[in-house]
Amino acid sequence: MKAIETTGLCKQFKGKKMTRVDALKSLDLQIEKGEVFGFLGPNGAGKSTTIKLIMGLLKPTAGTASIMGKDSSTTDSRRQVGFLPENPAFYDYLSAEEYITFVGSQFSMESSLLKRRTEDVLKRLDLWEARKRPMRGYSKGMVQRVGLAQTLVHDPDVYILDEPMSGLDPIGRALVKDIILDLKRRGKCVFFSTHITDDVEKVCDRVGVIVKGSLVAVDRVENIMRSGVEGYLVHLRFQDSASRNFAGIEPLRTAGSTSEFYVSCSAFNAFMGEVNAAGVEVALVETKRRDLEDFFLSLVNKP
Amino acid sequence: MSAVSRPVVALLVSLTIYGVVLGSFSDYMKLKPIEEKLGYLPSTSFLRYASADHKELVGASLVMKVIMYFGGIAEKQQANVIVQPPDYRGMSGILHGAVKLDPYNMDAYYFAQSFLTWEVKQYKIANDLLDYGMKYRSWDWMLPFFAGFNSSYFMRDYPAAATYYKRAGELSGSDLSKLLAGRYMQEAGQTELAIAYLTTMEKGERNQSVRRNYQLRLSAFKEVRKIEMARDRFKEAKGYLPTTVEQLSQGGFLSTVPLDPYGGQFYLEADGKVATTSKFAFAGAKKAAKQNAGETR
Amino acid sequence: MLSIVRITLKGIFRDRIFQGIMALSLFFVFIPSVASLSMRQVTELSTTLSLSLISFIMLLLAVFLGATSIWKDIERRYTFSVLSLPVSRSTYLVGRFLGIAIFMLIAALFLGSAAIVSIKIASLTYPPARPLLWFAIITSIVFDALKYIIVVAVSMTLATVSTSFFLPVFGAISIFMAGTVTQQVFDYLHTPSAQAAVSAAIRKAALVLYYLLPNLGGFDLKVHAIYAIPLNTQGLLLTGVYFLAYTGIVMSVGALLFARREMK
Repeated sequence: MKAIETTGLCKQFKGKKMTRVDALKSLDLQIEKGEVFGFLGPNGAGKSTTIKLIMGLLKPTAGTASIMGKDSSTTDSRRQVGFLPENPAFYDYLSAEEYITFVGSQFSMESSLLKRRTEDVLKRLDLWEARKRPMRGYSKGMVQRVGLAQTLVHDPDVYILDEPMSGLDPIGRALVKDIILDLKRRGKCVFFSTHITDDVEKVCDRVGVIVKGSLVAVDRVENIMRSGVEGYLVHLRFQDSASRNFAGIEPLRTAGSTSEFYVSCSAFNAFMGEVNAAGVEVALVETKRRDLEDFFLSLVNKP
Repeated sequence: MSAVSRPVVALLVSLTIYGVVLGSFSDYMKLKPIEEKLGYLPSTSFLRYASADHKELVGASLVMKVIMYFGGIAEKQQANVIVQPPDYRGMSGILHGAVKLDPYNMDAYYFAQSFLTWEVKQYKIANDLLDYGMKYRSWDWMLPFFAGFNSSYFMRDYPAAATYYKRAGELSGSDLSKLLAGRYMQEAGQTELAIAYLTTMEKGERNQSVRRNYQLRLSAFKEVRKIEMARDRFKEAKGYLPTTVEQLSQGGFLSTVPLDPYGGQFYLEADGKVATTSKFAFAGAKKAAKQNAGETR
Repeated sequence: MLSIVRITLKGIFRDRIFQGIMALSLFFVFIPSVASLSMRQVTELSTTLSLSLISFIMLLLAVFLGATSIWKDIERRYTFSVLSLPVSRSTYLVGRFLGIAIFMLIAALFLGSAAIVSIKIASLTYPPARPLLWFAIITSIVFDALKYIIVVAVSMTLATVSTSFFLPVFGAISIFMAGTVTQQVFDYLHTPSAQAAVSAAIRKAALVLYYLLPNLGGFDLKVHAIYAIPLNTQGLLLTGVYFLAYTGIVMSVGALLFARREMK
């Protein structure tokens, strides 16, 4: 059983003048339990549509979606999941504490446990001071944190977060990354969408890229990182001030006794052999690679 | 001009214009034709549909409108200001509309009775309205009491009056109606009948202008009664009818010269009936009664 | 469902518009003095004014609460967070409805108490011709509340399909207005003059509307309350059952429509 699974998931919207817009074209996705999955895509690619289909907020035109083996059209499918909508909004006349308690009661949590868990998550998300105030007075970042708190309160096995980092300041982002990594350690499945590649690189096991309603790539983050290596930047420190060439590669620049060399992957072994033979000290080796952003951009910009 | 002072200037200018126009505006409103003030009543069936679940409220507000309108004119009349007489026809129309909306509204019947009879002399319309009300206010002795009075005093239809009085007596359990039924069922008792009726009405009335109206009429009838009694004593003593009221005072049958509160002069008709030049109405109201007669619905 | 009812009630009590509408109940203070303008029926007039004021306030509450609750939830995107909880859409809709219905009864209790005080004051100053029938007054207020609960159900059902609040607000008001006169129209169409004047097709259409629209005329017991006319117990019972059945139908349709609605 997969934590989240979609098969041939399609969604058409009625556009203007009787046209139909394919928001999602036959999406097949399997997210394992205990996996952190980053769902990358530019704005309007179909990330939110996919998530709303999984959460049963939209009805698929074709195909199915399920959470923990339960079809998304059922109420039961939402028992095991904590969901953070994009730019969330909650009953603004309630306080954070009241709302979290309300959410917990919907998951039939026992009241003393709910009380304890509410306190935990509010403190964790730095909302403890503000917990009694109605949410209409909250800042955007605070509402976003309430959104995260309400996914955590009932401690589900699956987390679906739509743009969890948006609206947060750097401290808030760090907190969210921290929470996701903590969930990963505890073997929970986190499925989150974002258009910021940096978020994915740090926390995800796997990443899927969606462009114009189609999934264009799914891979492990480490594979993408490895395949993206293009060469190395080698810093050498010479005893004598004279810099030299190794394996026919000239230094990019020289400052004092150190020189920098760009060495491609294929030339690396030969280069290092000569450096070793000459007994020159290697000060630093940097990996030069395309990062996830380049990878992402290359997929998005593909004709 | 700075951004702050601009709205201040605009406010001052508007206030000045408001102050200038206010006096003329209320004068204009005061001088509006009476029909306009009383307002035309949209068709009753339209009101029935439009008032949703507020039929009783709309009915009551129509009655209130008529009472206030009448109160304003009556006050001026009693203060001897010459005004146009009330638009009785319009008033009657609105009251009829009001009881279509709320057939239980006692104010409507009560008030309609007070002007449809004395002022407008539309006894048939008054009794039809009362008959309609009796179907609903089946517990109320006042409606048959009114209808009985109208039948006997104005229409001289004694059998009908007897039926109404019997019903009123049964409902009220008081002796008044039964008394009326027995004692005044003849021509001779007319004035006493009116005094008895007006006394009952005057006692129960709280609306000041309507009450003043009853008091006026009551005092007029008391004067008439005085003259009648003097006339009868005169006839007993002399064996023939007097021809003028002066005869009565000169002969010592009347201690004071009777005063018509409506500003008229009492006189004796050929058959000895007491009448007044005012016809029991203020100068303006007479014309209205004539105008309204026959066209009031 | 209980917790949805609870947060609905909390939401209503904390809403400023509700507080504004309830401020209208200050008019109860003036009712005895306005009613004293009546010639013959001060107590009856103060009952009329009180019941009409209650009716008016409850109409505002019903339209405002019924039309805006679901619409606002969708408009402000509360539905994304709430409907992704393990709550079925019908539970959510019915919970919202029950919250508002309970609130209407609470409002009736509050307004009714104010009305009883002002009627009592009027009746002490100017005793009515017939003794007051408190049972009829209270029953009339309760049935008024039931009537407006039907309006709430109708406007919520309209809100499940509408993307703006125009349909639920004006739809509810129109259906309310029509609902108060269906019986009159029905009665009229059965008079001989109407049989002659109105074509058969229109009569048929009117008959369909008569059964389709709520018959709110039966819930109007103001005349009984104002003039102390005894109530027909069997009729009340029938009206009560009618209320349950009609509300049940409307809310079921609403739940079906809401389940199909896409949360874009």
